[in-house]
Amino acid sequence: MTRVTLDSLTKHFDDDGNTVVAVDDVSIDIADGEFIVLVGPSGCGKSTTLRMVAGLETITGGEIRLDDTVVNDRQAKDRDIAMVFQSYALYPHMSVRRNMSFGLEESTDLDDGEIGERVESTATMMGIAELLDRKPGELSGGQQQRVALGRAIVRDPAVFLMDEPLSNLDAKLRAQMRTELQRLQEDLGVTTVYVTHDQTEAMTMGDRIAVLNDGRLQQVGTPLECYHEPANLFVAGFIGEPSMNVFEMEVEGEELVGEEFTYPISSETREALGDVREVTLGIRPEDVEVLTRTEGDRTESDRRGGDRSSDRDQGGRHDFRTVVDVVEPVGDGNNVYLAFDEAATGTESVGGAAGEESAVADDDRVAMDLEDSDTFVATVSGLRRIEAGEEVYARLPEDAIHIFGAETGEALRSRKLDDEETVEPAA
Amino acid sequence: MSRRDPAAGSRDAEEGPGDDGERNGERAVRTDGSGDVGASRLGRFAADLHARPRRVGLYLVLIGLVGFYLAPLETGLITAFKTQSAFTETSPFAPPPFGGLTVDPWLTAWNRLAYALANSALFAIPATIASATLGSLTAYGLTHIRWRGQVAVMALFLAGVFIPYQAVLVPLTQLWGFIDLTNLLAPLPIVANYVDLIELMITHTAYGIPICTVLFRSYYQSFNEDMLEAARLDGASVFGVYRRIVLPLSKPMFAVAFIFQFTQVWNDLLFALVLITTPSNGVVTIALNQLSGSFVQQYNLQMAGAFLAALPTLLVYILFTEQFAEGVAGRTT
Repeated sequence: MTRVTLDSLTKHFDDDGNTVVAVDDVSIDIADGEFIVLVGPSGCGKSTTLRMVAGLETITGGEIRLDDTVVNDRQAKDRDIAMVFQSYALYPHMSVRRNMSFGLEESTDLDDGEIGERVESTATMMGIAELLDRKPGELSGGQQQRVALGRAIVRDPAVFLMDEPLSNLDAKLRAQMRTELQRLQEDLGVTTVYVTHDQTEAMTMGDRIAVLNDGRLQQVGTPLECYHEPANLFVAGFIGEPSMNVFEMEVEGEELVGEEFTYPISSETREALGDVREVTLGIRPEDVEVLTRTEGDRTESDRRGGDRSSDRDQGGRHDFRTVVDVVEPVGDGNNVYLAFDEAATGTESVGGAAGEESAVADDDRVAMDLEDSDTFVATVSGLRRIEAGEEVYARLPEDAIHIFGAETGEALRSRKLDDEETVEPAA
Repeated sequence: MSRRDPAAGSRDAEEGPGDDGERNGERAVRTDGSGDVGASRLGRFAADLHARPRRVGLYLVLIGLVGFYLAPLETGLITAFKTQSAFTETSPFAPPPFGGLTVDPWLTAWNRLAYALANSALFAIPATIASATLGSLTAYGLTHIRWRGQVAVMALFLAGVFIPYQAVLVPLTQLWGFIDLTNLLAPLPIVANYVDLIELMITHTAYGIPICTVLFRSYYQSFNEDMLEAARLDGASVFGVYRRIVLPLSKPMFAVAFIFQFTQVWNDLLFALVLITTPSNGVVTIALNQLSGSFVQQYNLQMAGAFLAALPTLLVYILFTEQFAEGVAGRTT
């Protein structure tokens, strides 16, 4: 059983005299038996990292250690690593049986009988025993995928590397294989490094996920850590579907002032920001509450239902008037795209900084509005009826907001997880 | 395209190459008469009548072309079966007259060419296999193994393809004058008798490597890189990957290289003339040349000899046709 350590791993490619940095100072400690997912957009260096671990790419700087042995200069064939490729990379001229026994023949001293036995038992476990005498060309994509997995498993390697192994499967089969792979990995207990660009795969499969962008490691953590406490704006935007809503804001006293709205913050939050002026406010779509009325609008009859004034966001400080732009039903929920109602926000933020701003700033604001179509997303229950054009209040609870420094993108404040939020039943 | 009677359909299916032309003709005619959309059945019948002379014309042209291309072959074959007098009395195309039919030229040609055919096979087969194998190995080294300066090496091989035979004749004789193969092989009893053939074999092997390398290289570039990497991760050495993955997948390209290279080597006269000095080492191209007598031209004998000499290349082609088609079409792995 093997620990894998990436220590300041760096890879430069030479592109017509220019040096392209593919992987930049990536350090990850992977525990024995851990399932770690490298995730990031295409070209972020995740595959290159994997190929360096495999020994298929040379290492420009840093070290790769298996347990405590540096393997930088060890050839791929001597690393005791099995890899599953996106293209499956089966040997087309060999039967499934030969495909699976190839690795054992080349890398071990087992005799034919033992190899045959191991192939048979692995094939049975993978449910491909009846395919053993067929050639890869006669198999469906899903079957080929299984054979590719079986070929890796039969070798009983120290480490599994998987390079987007599920991306050529159709959606349904992919979801099925996702679960199966997880189960297999748990049963086998082999350290696994899995590369994907699909954040759903990363979230659902990994013990931990490592988010990469532009060759740099952004964050390593459990899926929930990355989701709820993203280290920076990139991770916040990459993990989660639909993506986190973000707003460019400026800190003014105990308020965040943005193009569309002004967001009052508590002194506790204010402290966390330090002397950063430009920030980005982020909130997950499921944390945006969509209300038909706000505290200020309440009538006596509303209050009868219960003591809702115990809500932390009293008086609708964090409620903003919006118009429903588009509603996307996805079955269990609705993705509601909300647009700020310009006129309403003006009156709402009484005494806000907006009134004091110069005419020049106002012009800028209009220009900004035209650039990005300013809608943000909220997810609400699928059974709730909500129509485009409806006027609603969007509540952005302070507990759920993330604040990032606008320049660095680093998280200054993450949402609170420990205290349970009180759910405001929509009227 | 709708057809009115099934018989016409099956006829078309049988006709192969002519089919398209006929269809086009028919379509053209139909467009002419398509002003009236309603009168479809009548219109089609008229078009059919119209089309028939076109089709007859097409087949006349095709038959003419076939005749044109096959005439030399037919002439040669007929001539080979004619007696000397029958040849002088009749036109070369005409079949032999009564009593003018003979198989003597074939027997004579066989008797005089048999040893040369054997000699040719003796050097052409190893030369073909060797240059194809070495070309394949070189191409593997130039595509799937990374090392410095391989572009320059590839450029040299590419240049090698374009060196004409005539340009190397003098250096070639100098080289074999410098390497005293006769003395080197003297201790080996039987081999020593075939020094000229061995020289020729080595020369052709070397000369064939560049083109074989280029052929195999383009083929190997289409290989799935992942597959070879998977084999490396499975523990195979560089040569192990070649032997167990690359080589078995190269069959179609080997067929192409065999056909091409064998034809080149077998039909070569120039190197043979320069390198073969011992009469007993004579190869088929030389022997065939000697069939043309110095006083009387025996055309029937020459023709029979030419057919005999060409037979092996035809045989190789037939032998590898299926693989050849696969190799030329290029398959994805």
